[in-house]
This record gives sequence, structure tokens and C-alpha cells, in this order.
Amino acid sequence: MTQKTPKWILFFQYVSLGFIWLLVLGIIVWIINLMKLSNYLHDAQNATIVISLIIIPIFITLAGVLSYVFFGLKRANREEITK
Amino acid sequence: MTDIRQETDYTLFRPILETEKSFYWIVATLLGIIFWAGYMYINQIIYGLGVTGLNNTVSWGFYIINFVFFIGISHAGTLISAILRLSQAEWRRPITRMAEVITAIVLLIGAVHPILDLGRPDRILNVFLFGRLQSPLLWDVTAITTYFTASTIYLYVPLIPDIALLRDKTDKYKWFYQFLSWGYIGTEKQKHILERAMTILMVMVIPIAVSVHTVISFIFSMTIQPGWHSTIFGPYFVVGAIFSGTATLLVVMIAFRKMYHFENYLKEIHFQYLGLLLLIFAILWGYFTFSEFVTGFYGNEPMEMSVILYKFTGPYAVFFWLMVVLNFIIPVVVLGFKRLKTIKGILFTSMGVIVGMWLERLIIVVPSLSNPRLPYDVHFYIPSLTEVSLFMGGIAVFCLGFIIFSKLFPLISIWEIEEGRNEGLEEAQKRLESYLPSVEQVK
Repeated sequence: MTQKTPKWILFFQYVSLGFIWLLVLGIIVWIINLMKLSNYLHDAQNATIVISLIIIPIFITLAGVLSYVFFGLKRANREEITK
Repeated sequence: MTDIRQETDYTLFRPILETEKSFYWIVATLLGIIFWAGYMYINQIIYGLGVTGLNNTVSWGFYIINFVFFIGISHAGTLISAILRLSQAEWRRPITRMAEVITAIVLLIGAVHPILDLGRPDRILNVFLFGRLQSPLLWDVTAITTYFTASTIYLYVPLIPDIALLRDKTDKYKWFYQFLSWGYIGTEKQKHILERAMTILMVMVIPIAVSVHTVISFIFSMTIQPGWHSTIFGPYFVVGAIFSGTATLLVVMIAFRKMYHFENYLKEIHFQYLGLLLLIFAILWGYFTFSEFVTGFYGNEPMEMSVILYKFTGPYAVFFWLMVVLNFIIPVVVLGFKRLKTIKGILFTSMGVIVGMWLERLIIVVPSLSNPRLPYDVHFYIPSLTEVSLFMGGIAVFCLGFIIFSKLFPLISIWEIEEGRNEGLEEAQKRLESYLPSVEQVK
């Protein structure tokens, strides 16, 4: 069964996908803020860098997976409709 | 649109399409408990932490116990589901969804508890504005946020085919399902995309889940407090978490099997397999508990010994020995003997394990604080009505969250059941052939 998504639903789907990237952006800003703070206080800078090196890529990968699913499903749907 | 009642798996659609009167009563009761808890919390905000049983000596009580307890339960879901999916255990199909839902809901409830423990909840903002990453408390915040994001995505991605089924086969909340299905129509390419995404998520989620509970143990073990400063705490917490999580999963499965008549989907064999897992973790938990105390006992440090003896013989001894009975003796007896390992027996044991694991968190958190190293009196901590109400509220939120989920989405993955029925046998045969040498190869 082919499905054409109404435009208003499509709009909200893009907005909801935007939220995950907003979360990633928020986490990055937060971690950078903590890094700046630890640098200013000369307080556990190494630990801060190591933790941010782990956390930031994890969040980017998670958001990337979700975006891959979203655009992949949309493209496959479009291909099926245009067949 | 064909009549949905003719569907082979209509039983799985039914909870979404039909609502019994008892549903409203259950929801009303749960909402009543949640409102009461909300009222008690507002009271706490107005009057401060003085309304709790906490004091200068025992500054961590019910809230931190419940925080560790709820986060522990969250391990049931995503971790068990990811391991079963990765190992391609065919019997996983009807249970993975429930396990994943438990994680998402319980994690949220657990994450709220440290905020409840703050007399000034607005000060949580300090974590974001002036947090110091040298503090294990901040490691907790990052680990839990990561786990929650990963497990929510891991719940959502395998849910997409079922959402598409609901969009196509029912008239209820059509726009909602259309919004969430992301244009899924079940083409080979789309299935491949979901499969690939799920594999990446499964591989990511397992180390994240293990790290979360290890990091939670760090808030205790990184201190030099007797009874907490232990290198074994990381794996000990992970074992306890999977143990309590499996027990919760079993209780949820048995409850919803009865409530929604899933007897043909959740069969005796599923309970037998998960029961075996529970038995293994009961023995592992017993071993870790023994190791935890025997190392302290052998070292014979005076402060460490006073905490150990306080746990064994002091005012908390009744909780300690009850924990041993519920977490070790009953599971080993009931799950070790085939005659006792019935669904009723498993339910009884699982409920005992949940209580026992809560007591374990109590035994870890409170006695160490009750025995101050400075010359203060030994304090016995009794929770106040506020703390008990908020605990009940947490349980009510879990039940309500689960029930609402069951009214919007199938609690058992329909597409996975269909796939198993249509392709599982052939797939399993192919896999077997790839594992084992053929007769020609051996000859």
C-alpha cells in the first residue's frame, strides 16, 4: 500500500526530527560550557575532555541513525509512489 | 479497508481498539495516587526537606534508594532485548517490546528522583550551568541522558512497522499513526533500512546500559565511606540491575498476559527461559553479595566492620536477612525445582525479587550513613509519609505509563510475530546449516 503523507504532517515530522538535533546541539553546548569552566578553574581538564570525546559522538551517532531511518523511509516511499 | 477482526493477530490489536470499563477505574485510581504524590511534593517544596525522614546524619534516604532501584529496573528492557535480538533468539519475539517500554518509562521515573532529593529543585540548573565533570553525580546525568535517548530511539525504530499497520488497518488516531510511521509501507528497502538501524542501535545500547549502572555505583564507591568504597560495586550493581529488571519484566508479562489474554503469545516456554535467567542472576547476585562482605570481613577495618555488623545484627538486620531470603533462597528453591517453576511460582518469586532488590538498595544506602565516622550518634532512619507517597507515586506513574502505552501501541510486536511465523523457520534452518558442518563436509 503506497502512502502519500499530507503536507502538514510532513512539516511536523521534520520539526520532530529537528528536536533530536536540537538535543544534540544542547548537549554539545553544555559540554563545551563545562570544558570552559573546568579550564577556567584548572579543575579536572583531562577528565572533561575524555568524557566529552565519548558523549558527543554517541549523541551524534544516535541522531544520525534516526535521521538515516527518517530519510531512508521517505525516499523508499517516494520511489514506490513514482513506480 | 478489510475488517480488522479477521486479522490473524487481532488479539494484539484488541487492547487498542476495545476498552473495558475496568480500564477507566484503574486509570482513575492511578491518577488519584499521582495527584496525592504531587500534593505531598508541593508540601515538600513549601516546607523543605524537613518533611522527610532525612537528617544531618542520614542525608540520603528513600529518594536515592528509589533512584538506584528504578534505574536498575530499567536494565530489563533494552539490555535484555538487545542481547536476545543480537543472538537471534527466536523466542524473544513476543517479549522485546514490553522489555523496551519498561526501560523508557522507568528510566524517566528514576531520573526524577535526584530532583526530589533536592530541597531547592531549581538548583538542578546548577548542574547545567556550573557542573564539574570531576563529580560522579555529573557522570550520572550524562550517562542517564545518553541511555534514555538511546533506549527511546531503540523502542521507536522497531515500533515503526507496527505503527504503519495501525495506520493502515484501523480508523483510530489516523493522523497520529501517520505522523509516527514516517511513510513506512513495508518495501524490502525500508525493511533493510530498519534492520540496519536496529543493528547499530543494539550494538550501541549494550555498552551504554552497562556503563549507566556502573556509573551509578560510582556515586557510592568513589567516596571513602565504609560499606561503599568497593571496587566490586560496578559489576555488583549491573548484576542487581539485570536481576531486578528481569523480575519486573516477568511480573509485567504475567499481568498483561492475564489482562489482555495474550496466553497464545506469551507461552509457558517464555516464562521457563526467563525464569532460568532469573535463577542464574539470583546465584550471581548471591555470589557478589558474599564477595562484597567477605572482602570487608577479611580486611577487618574497624569502621568497615561496624557497618557490616550493623547490617547483620543492627536495627536493619531484619531487612538484610529478608533481602537474602527474597533474592537468593526463594529464587534458588522455586526456580531450581521443575515442580515449583510454574507461572504462579515464577510470579511469586519475581515479586519477591523486586521487593528484595529494593531492600538491597536500602541496605547499601542507609546503614553506611547511619554509622558516622565523626563522633555523632548512630541514627535510625524512618521515612516520612511524604517519601512513601512519592514512592507510591513513582510506581503509579509506571503502571499508568505502561497502560497508556498499551492503549496506543501493541505491547507485542506484531510484525516480529508475523515475520517469525512466515520466515523464522527457514531462517533458523539456514542459520543452523551455517553453524554446523554438513554430512558431506565431515565425511
